[in-house]
Amino acid sequence: MTGGSTRLQGRTRRLLGVMAVAMIGATAVGCGSGSGASAGSSGDGTVTLEFAQWWAPELPAGSFDKLMSEFTAQNPKIKVKLLSGPYASTKQQLVAGAASRTLPDVVGLDGAWVSDFAKQGAIADLSALMAAAKYDSSQLASQIQIKGKTYMIPVVNFVYPLFVNNDLLAKAGVKTPPSTRTEFLEAAKKVSALGGNVKGWALPLDTAVPNGVQNDVMSWLWASGGSMLTKDGKPDLTGPGVKSTVEYVKSLNDAGVIAPGALTMKEQDKVEKFSTGQVGMVIDSLAHIGLIKKNNPKLDFTVVPIPAEDAYTGKRGIPYASWGIGVAESSEHKAEAFKLVQFLMDKKANAQLSTLANGFPGNKTAEPDFSTSDPLFKTAFDIYKAGYPANEFVGLPKSEDLMRSFDEQLQLALTGKQSVDDALNKAQQAWAPVL
Amino acid sequence: METAKLDPAASPGAAKSASESSAGRRRRTRPFPVQGVVPYGYLSPTLILIFVLMIIPIAMVVSYSFKDNVIVEQNPVFAGLANYTTVLTDPDFLAALKNTFIFITVSTVAHLGLGLAFATMLNTPLLGGVTKAIFRIVYILPWLFTVAVIAVIWRLMLDPSGVVNYILTTIGVMREEVTWLSEPNTALWALTFINIWAGFPFFMISILAGLQGISPVLYEAASVDGASTFRQFRNVTLPQLKPVLLSMAVLDLIWTSQQFALIWMTTGGGPLNATEMLSTYTYKQAFSSYEFATASAAAVIVLLLTMILAFFYVRLQKER
Amino acid sequence: MLTRKRRRLGAKIAVLAGLCVGAAFAGLPVVWMLSTSFKTNGEVFQVPPRLITENFSFDAYKVILADATQLRFFINSYIVALSVTVLTLFVAILAAYGFSRYNFPLKRSVNAVIVTVQAVPPITLVIPYFGLVVALGLYNTYPGLILTHMVFTLPYAIIMMTAYFNTLPRELDESVKVDGASSWTALWRILVPISVPGLVAVGVYTFMISWNEYLFALTLTRTDDMRTVPIGIQLLMGQHSYEWNQMMAMSILGSIPVLVLFLLFQRRFIGGLTSGAVKS
Repeated sequence: MTGGSTRLQGRTRRLLGVMAVAMIGATAVGCGSGSGASAGSSGDGTVTLEFAQWWAPELPAGSFDKLMSEFTAQNPKIKVKLLSGPYASTKQQLVAGAASRTLPDVVGLDGAWVSDFAKQGAIADLSALMAAAKYDSSQLASQIQIKGKTYMIPVVNFVYPLFVNNDLLAKAGVKTPPSTRTEFLEAAKKVSALGGNVKGWALPLDTAVPNGVQNDVMSWLWASGGSMLTKDGKPDLTGPGVKSTVEYVKSLNDAGVIAPGALTMKEQDKVEKFSTGQVGMVIDSLAHIGLIKKNNPKLDFTVVPIPAEDAYTGKRGIPYASWGIGVAESSEHKAEAFKLVQFLMDKKANAQLSTLANGFPGNKTAEPDFSTSDPLFKTAFDIYKAGYPANEFVGLPKSEDLMRSFDEQLQLALTGKQSVDDALNKAQQAWAPVL
Repeated sequence: METAKLDPAASPGAAKSASESSAGRRRRTRPFPVQGVVPYGYLSPTLILIFVLMIIPIAMVVSYSFKDNVIVEQNPVFAGLANYTTVLTDPDFLAALKNTFIFITVSTVAHLGLGLAFATMLNTPLLGGVTKAIFRIVYILPWLFTVAVIAVIWRLMLDPSGVVNYILTTIGVMREEVTWLSEPNTALWALTFINIWAGFPFFMISILAGLQGISPVLYEAASVDGASTFRQFRNVTLPQLKPVLLSMAVLDLIWTSQQFALIWMTTGGGPLNATEMLSTYTYKQAFSSYEFATASAAAVIVLLLTMILAFFYVRLQKER
Repeated sequence: MLTRKRRRLGAKIAVLAGLCVGAAFAGLPVVWMLSTSFKTNGEVFQVPPRLITENFSFDAYKVILADATQLRFFINSYIVALSVTVLTLFVAILAAYGFSRYNFPLKRSVNAVIVTVQAVPPITLVIPYFGLVVALGLYNTYPGLILTHMVFTLPYAIIMMTAYFNTLPRELDESVKVDGASSWTALWRILVPISVPGLVAVGVYTFMISWNEYLFALTLTRTDDMRTVPIGIQLLMGQHSYEWNQMMAMSILGSIPVLVLFLLFQRRFIGGLTSGAVKS
């Protein structure tokens, strides 16, 4: 039988043990601070850049890594660590990263995010970096600027033409793909009349990711040369252009040619329905050609310009989305990060990347390689050259929120809960304080 | 049981429910100075973890909620209650509040109802052990899947051209296909149904555990008195299960109100805000409007509302 | 006698019928999931829908199992969920012992805090939490995810374990203490071994929460070598299209460990819940 003092010792020891566990926990928590810096430079002067983007998963497997090893071959002192995820989760991580000043050194950007990230001071002024690197920016097709300073450079641009299922249209007795709004409505009606689950058009309006407003609604406006903004950048949603667009979309809805479930349909569903032959026509990114062919190798489809108003003869705006690139303000290796930007914008690499992605190069002098790409890619390039790129959401502050508030009003109008005029008035009111 | 002899003070304490324990008395019998810190020693890992990873972030959210344009502006200014006024007067927030209320109450009632029904059937003496074990496994299935999968499988099945519509139209229940998750009138109910499916197994198992803990003597006594099965259920089962049912109900209200991923991946709060909940509202404020201050204010309001539930839970715990 | 037998048979049939209806409710979606995992993507929306199609194949499973990245998701999930389970049990045992066997100032308040913590909606914490985890150097690490999951599993675990310990007579630990052992020894030599059913119940619950956790697993990791199965499944959802069969195959594969866990422990699991939930 042990005495009282031993007992005490035993207990104290155990107690200390518990405390020690607790302290280790606390120190593990406390001392770690700082060690998680986003980029590292090792002793021999090699710098590792972190590059977050959603591009690698959308390219043929392994091809983006290959491009990065070319970069490392040219810049032996710089290594690139790819942080890849799908678009939506990349966005969420970048928002969280921007909020806590921990963005990866180089970030893939969507034009819709730039304004907010720039305002938060999360992404660096590329104009300054270009000047420091004595970079000739005249070769860039475009730069996204906020208050005169460049924050994002589009690396690859994707246009959104109208995808047409040839088989369905032929079956419905539509000889040529529609070119005007009236023709489109007629074609859509005929396709929907085929019965079964088949409808003429798909309209994804899910509010979780309200991109449908940009790609599938406003695209009609831009195709007829319209604008949703006034000359001085104020919203013009009650103007004739937006009004006729929304009324047209409503007429499609009233004619019953839109695939059911539009109000919570996501972009994936739209692509899915087109590739399984459930809808005859969709407005979609050229980047999806490969994907649609993979999902359904037998599908016979083509791309045409988005139909315009019947009397319209001018150049057609064609909506686009970009894989943009930016550099984190918090990065300790901005110069190296810009080297990577420079590499991706370089004539050769840029052409290579564009060809892989079925997109158009951000470098004016780069020529995509049509010989190895899909023939539809060439068709789309001709459509692109005949029109002009149009996406008025790029560079707007809170653009996703603008799309969402417009989306909500549009949904009310489509379900007959309010008139188109009321919807546009309310959307105008929602946009006015932001712009 | 030497203890009882040596330390008589301890045994009545032990006989009582231990949380109202007799440690005060034992402190007298074991007057080591270290005794006072021992319980804190045992609790320290928990307390440190909760302090660092829970109390600190909560404090941060609360402080954000009183500032203007926090995170987005480099130097946010104090805004008083302005963010709270913004949130509380936002019709979307009020709609979210209403939807959340419907969602959590219907889910909870259904979870307990189904849980009780299934657990009673699984506890029946009429069937053999193997049969019951097989059913138990089938019933537990929904619990095995992560929320991303639950969202995907139900989106697939409830698709306008999915299998649910096919079956219902084929057997003639409905004439037309219903877009379950895209129809403002049906979306909230469809979502609630999915949540009921996903959540009932845990409650069923807990209630089953509760049923198995009821002493058979009580039933024997009741059946000697000639009580019918239904009366036995009402007079023995329900009163015995009451504590379990009550705490399960409060827990479920709390857990369901936290549901975010399922809603986000099925409807995203739409159509027409029909399934907007407090969680999706908060998320949208932060990650799509970049209004971190109003998001934080909404978060604090949600926190206060759930605290009310937690208060009832604490009281239930004490009563037991 | 005969009528009683007949009534028994009637009751038996009624219960069986009820159980079958319930089983259909619980099981049919899973059957559909299984069926989809054997289809090709093009067949998913085939009209009329069929359970087994011409192109029935295990290809989706092969793709998942041959993909090192996907397997890594499984390994990550195991590491995280098992660590969370072990650590939660360890920490909860200590805390529950403190609550169950000691009286101390602030006991009620501390208990209330712990109970309240489980009511904190995770979504409200994501914004500051991210910054905090980054500042602590735990971003995109196992400890970051493990500690985070523990914060959400601990409260329920502590409540359940306290209730369980409360059912065990105090004489048990007093008897060894009289023999000169410390409270630590009493806890680990006496209380813990006889608490196995309760530990199993809490352990299974904890494992499931951690295995299926989504929001923080998404927010706090950013490379594939740290991501867990739920995120892996979501990655298959992609931005532009669904890989239905692979998603379903991965969910089936992902649910197997949890199913096995339940099969192995179901008696003890229910038993543990029984003593924890009712007798307190």
